Amino acid sequence: MFSVKPLKPTFKSYLPPLQTELTKTPQPTINKLEAKLLPGEIVVNEVNFVRKCIGAESSRDDLWGKLICTNFKISFVTHDALPQQKFQYANRLLGEHDVPLACVEQVVTVNDAKGKQKVLGSNQKLKFNPTELIVYCKDFRIVRFRFDEAGPESAKKVCLAIAHYSQPADLQLLFGFEYVGKRHCAPSGDQVNGADRAGGPQTPLFDRTCDWDREIKRTGASEWRVCSVNEGFSVSPSLPEYFVVPVSLADQDLKQYSGFFTAQRIPLWCWNHHNGSALVRMASIRDPAQQRKLDQRICNAVTRSHPKRGDVLKSDLDKSLPSIQDVQAAFVRLRHICVIEPFEESEEKWLSSMESSRWLEYVRAFLKHSAEVVYMLEGKQASVILQEEEDRDLSCVVSSLVQIMLDPHFRSLQGFQSLVQKEWVMAGHRFLDRCNHLKRNDKEEAPLFLLFLDCVWQLMNQYPAAFEFTETYLTVLSDSMWVPVFSTFLFNCARQHTEHSRDFARSKNIPLGRDKALRFPPVWDWSQQFTLKDQALFNSPLYVGKGGPCVQNGAVKSFKRTKKNYSSTLRGMPSLRNGLLGEHDYFPRRSSLVLRLRPDFSQLREAAESPSERFFGDWLSRPPDLQGLLLPQLLPSHLKLWRLYFLRWVPEAQISRGGPITAFHKLSLLADEIETLQRQLRQYKGGAPPSSAPASAPGTPQPEQRRMYFKADTPRDPPSPPDYLSSSFPFSPVGNLCRRSILGTPLSKFLSGAKIWLSTETLASETL
Amino acid sequence: MEKSGSTDSGECKPFSSRQPSVDSIASTSTCPSDRSSHLKPPVTHSSDALSTSTEVSLELQVGTSITTLGNCHKLAQEEPQLIPKESIQDIAKEVTYICPFSGAIRGTLSVTNYRLFFKCTDRDTAFALDLPLGVINRIEKIGGVSGRSEVSYGLVCKDMRNLRFAHKVQEGSFKKSIFEVLMKFAFPLSYGMEIFAFQYGQIFPESGWKVYDALSEYKRQGLPNESWRITKMNEHYELCDTYPATLVVPVTIPDEELKRVAAFRAKGRIPVLSWIHPESQATVTRCSQPMVGVNGKRSKDDEKYLQAIMDANAQSHKLFIFDARPSVNAAANKMKGGGYESEDAYQNAELVFLDIHNIHVMRESLRKLKEVVYPNIEESRWLSNLESTHWLEHIKLILAGALRIADKVESGRTSVVVHCSDGWDRTAQLTSLSMLMLDAHYRTLRGFQELVEKEWLSFGHRFQLRVGHGDRNHSDADRSPVFLQFIDCVWQMTRQFPSAFEFNEYFLITILDHLYSCLFGTFLGNSEQQRVKEELPERTVSLWSYINSQLEEFTNPLYVNYSNHVLFPVVSMRHLELWVGYYVRWNPRMRPQEPIHQRYKELLAKRAELQNRVEELQREVANRSGPSSEKAGSPTVAPVQT
Repeated sequence: MFSVKPLKPTFKSYLPPLQTELTKTPQPTINKLEAKLLPGEIVVNEVNFVRKCIGAESSRDDLWGKLICTNFKISFVTHDALPQQKFQYANRLLGEHDVPLACVEQVVTVNDAKGKQKVLGSNQKLKFNPTELIVYCKDFRIVRFRFDEAGPESAKKVCLAIAHYSQPADLQLLFGFEYVGKRHCAPSGDQVNGADRAGGPQTPLFDRTCDWDREIKRTGASEWRVCSVNEGFSVSPSLPEYFVVPVSLADQDLKQYSGFFTAQRIPLWCWNHHNGSALVRMASIRDPAQQRKLDQRICNAVTRSHPKRGDVLKSDLDKSLPSIQDVQAAFVRLRHICVIEPFEESEEKWLSSMESSRWLEYVRAFLKHSAEVVYMLEGKQASVILQEEEDRDLSCVVSSLVQIMLDPHFRSLQGFQSLVQKEWVMAGHRFLDRCNHLKRNDKEEAPLFLLFLDCVWQLMNQYPAAFEFTETYLTVLSDSMWVPVFSTFLFNCARQHTEHSRDFARSKNIPLGRDKALRFPPVWDWSQQFTLKDQALFNSPLYVGKGGPCVQNGAVKSFKRTKKNYSSTLRGMPSLRNGLLGEHDYFPRRSSLVLRLRPDFSQLREAAESPSERFFGDWLSRPPDLQGLLLPQLLPSHLKLWRLYFLRWVPEAQISRGGPITAFHKLSLLADEIETLQRQLRQYKGGAPPSSAPASAPGTPQPEQRRMYFKADTPRDPPSPPDYLSSSFPFSPVGNLCRRSILGTPLSKFLSGAKIWLSTETLASETL
Repeated sequence: MEKSGSTDSGECKPFSSRQPSVDSIASTSTCPSDRSSHLKPPVTHSSDALSTSTEVSLELQVGTSITTLGNCHKLAQEEPQLIPKESIQDIAKEVTYICPFSGAIRGTLSVTNYRLFFKCTDRDTAFALDLPLGVINRIEKIGGVSGRSEVSYGLVCKDMRNLRFAHKVQEGSFKKSIFEVLMKFAFPLSYGMEIFAFQYGQIFPESGWKVYDALSEYKRQGLPNESWRITKMNEHYELCDTYPATLVVPVTIPDEELKRVAAFRAKGRIPVLSWIHPESQATVTRCSQPMVGVNGKRSKDDEKYLQAIMDANAQSHKLFIFDARPSVNAAANKMKGGGYESEDAYQNAELVFLDIHNIHVMRESLRKLKEVVYPNIEESRWLSNLESTHWLEHIKLILAGALRIADKVESGRTSVVVHCSDGWDRTAQLTSLSMLMLDAHYRTLRGFQELVEKEWLSFGHRFQLRVGHGDRNHSDADRSPVFLQFIDCVWQMTRQFPSAFEFNEYFLITILDHLYSCLFGTFLGNSEQQRVKEELPERTVSLWSYINSQLEEFTNPLYVNYSNHVLFPVVSMRHLELWVGYYVRWNPRMRPQEPIHQRYKELLAKRAELQNRVEELQREVANRSGPSSEKAGSPTVAPVQT
């Protein structure tokens, strides 16, 4: 409960929930509508006979049920099923219609009759009885509830409660604390705490020296060491307790230097190239008098850690990249044109609106800057220091993008997660402020992490086989920012995490045992949110991993040969049929038979071209090695809107039975078949023929977890693609985006759109 | 298997009698689930070839000659490798190609009767330009840059690029400039010569001219039936000289009346059936505008005719007439004797204008687009520049029109009549795109060829005029990228439904490249009548002959044969994209993208290998455990090949 802190008097008036309402209900079934509560979750207020709006035009498909505000979420429980809902991707922590309070962007109450509308904040009064509640969510959803049949007073109370509870006054009022506290006390233990996290490969959290040791070893950074000078956060409040520094710098030096850096942030090692160059991030030096001297010392130390004593280059991110305010403004504009503006009206100017939002421009700027850093590390074999005022925002994006481009390890699922842990969570990205969980200071809010995910998506879109995970994974990861129970996204830095969880435990008298503090689960423990089956949607069927997931366990030896063959015939090579070309061929097979005229410029570099351009040009003219360096294609025509993320709730934009998922579906079936065959081979190798009966082969469920979400168990093509596949999959716009309908659409608009003309028959057969 | 189709492909793999190679597996669009029964054309191709040994050797010949044709350059060569009947007309050394991306490049320029070939001679750079003369739209002499001794020529191409060359002219030399030679062979028609397609005599295993047969296509649709008949009225192109010989008309209208209807429709292009819904019997019919004129002329025969079209579909008591034009344009056509159907005259018909602009607007839009994408893209204003070309907006209107037609037919079970002014540009776009949405057959490789043959070629889209083959008159107002727009729309659909089409992007680009190349006879001429008269099928090679000789190249491995899948694309700027792989392909910063397909083929190969190994082991186990358990050893996993 929230009783830790003295409650402000205003909300006593609507606490506790009015039980009288329930007894009055005429329909007994309504009584059974109960919110599903998590440990530590309590109902604050609720109201019956609420209608959740599904369609903007008519109320035909609306759902009836109960609207509940808890200390964790807005919950709508109903007996009705969504119309034509054929597929559901369920979150274990949330019901189908639930919105976590942390995901609420804005609460708007409306009274139709009086023509009134009010944006509700915390502790505000509402002078009218709302007939409608519209909740704008941070994940782009817009949900609408109508109170026409509900008790006006209780409706009002629920609205006020939602507005109030979605703006907690203190970090410890975020639901995660109650939740983790309760789970800690629970006898089952639920492996939230301690080392016994869920099975399977674990994501290193980089809160221990051994995680850093392993990373040093993995990257061959022999001239770098883990230092524990910040143990107990005694030097810098925002740095982690353990991080990596040049061997040549002693703890004593570090302590001495720390005073000159903004927030005592000593330079941090991020990553080492196998050529010896290192990626380092650092904050600005506060004292101008010390600047040159200190710069020199740091550079010397970094050089000394380079086996070939390579150059050290500095990249000032504040000067070369958009600020966090710019990013936030772009995001707000993009959200507006994606989900707020009426669909048809915004069609005509869609491209220029996209451009003026500047989101893609910023995505491109970050990718471009990162690619240039890659050039310095790889092409010039120089170490690079990323410098930013506080070293907690832009450098997170750039350092992680650079590592994704250079190191295939970070394109695997575990690698990617460790990267976020290393460059974001431990480096002290202010998730709490940037997410604005406490809604205290809008100026601090900025979707930098989403921007980063978008950049990753662009790379993934250009090189789909290079990533082990899918865009669904990226989307779900971004959504998890709004489920305030994960250590990953709740805090500004490691110290805040440690101190608040210790204080909370103390104030609640939670026995901590051997632990120093309560441990929040990292988001990487995906089983908290999704079943193993649903987690399979994270796995890309295309991934060409190290050895490949398809040759797991090295069971299929001869593969290596085949594989080599294949990677050498990867794309970019000429059509095989025409033979002859052999090594001489440099023409991509794209151009047609007689029109092989796309010139190759690889050997025609003029002096006008900068070395980095030449580096990119050379790289682009070769077929990419998906397990090697990966560079983004930066022509503006190559950067795309991340449709799954930005348009998934927009019903008009949903391609039913289409979208990239249909290709993914087919690929998954094939990947699954391969997996099944490999399992059989292993069984043969293991001696016993696969459980004697032939039927057991592809069909029967295997004890092992299968990687693919779509399984090749049905051998025949269905007459049409599965209904639930759409460009929004696995999400559904149904009931998740309810703009108020726009009346009196002019005829011109009618003519320039498409969906609205579809006859009712078609509309009925679609999931709208 | 280790070869996995990379090196052995030169020997014509589908025809080898060995085990099916990896590539042939890929080519036949295997997917784990379509192996059961739906074997479609591409497979029969390879099985035919296996039948006799003579055929095999024939194939081999073809295979090698394709090779020479396709990969016409070894880098070391300064001259192109020639294709049959191609001969070098002129060679000039010391020519400079002024590349917009990397500056001046010096080399040797050769002109043949088919192509332009430029090979860099500087140092050891490997740069070559090789383009069919057919893509050249215009050659202009640009004033000498450095004094009189150097002349410069600009080549404006139909495929979204411009090339610029410069070379020295010897003073007092009587030798013609190579560009004058180029001019002659780039625009042979203007110089009283023949288009190269008439010389090129490559023989392919099957004739693409036989891809489409009107009668069997109508038979596939279940025609004739009780409501629709096939008429031979136009056998000699007397009823309408721009229509095909075979037409499908309502049973209730006798041939005599057709003539009277023809008199009322522009260019005699009467409403005829393009497609019939297999279940509802709703039809897509196409025609030209009615000759209403300023006085609002009526034709009882035409009205009766449209009524007959409506009556042929028992499911609906309504008929939709889709006029592709903006209503203003349709009204303006009355001044020229044309116009549109008034709802007074045509009872039960509803007229809808689709707002698609005319050929001139489209030509202008493409011109602007070229400015925006070639040579360089302005980084900061890319999207607004793209918007200002209106290209995607036009694409959207065309797709939206087709979608409305498909929706009326599929969901509304209503028959539709589609026309524009003459019924050979926008009408062709609309009917073919709606048929592509409605009928999965047209989404196969061969089905698409039939669609193009039927809705575009046989119904008289004026390719000769719209493209201007071999004609120097580049400013001809009849030129317009109507067919390019259609292919663009198809590409947009393949983006939204990546597994619904049997063909890939490369197929679409190949069609467009040969729309201009003048290598094949397919897109020559303006009508079926002209093609027959000029004996194109006898005297030229069909593009489909070439394409069908290596279908695997053009196959989308992600294709799933969903037979009843009607596609309703989302026609919104949110999903429409500029076709970068076509329009921006000359930019060296652009990397062709088809990684998914490539990866899919690798996975297919991997599966094939695993299957072999599993089967091997199964056999081993079966042998070991004796005959009693033989059955257990039968392949139970996914069959190897479909």
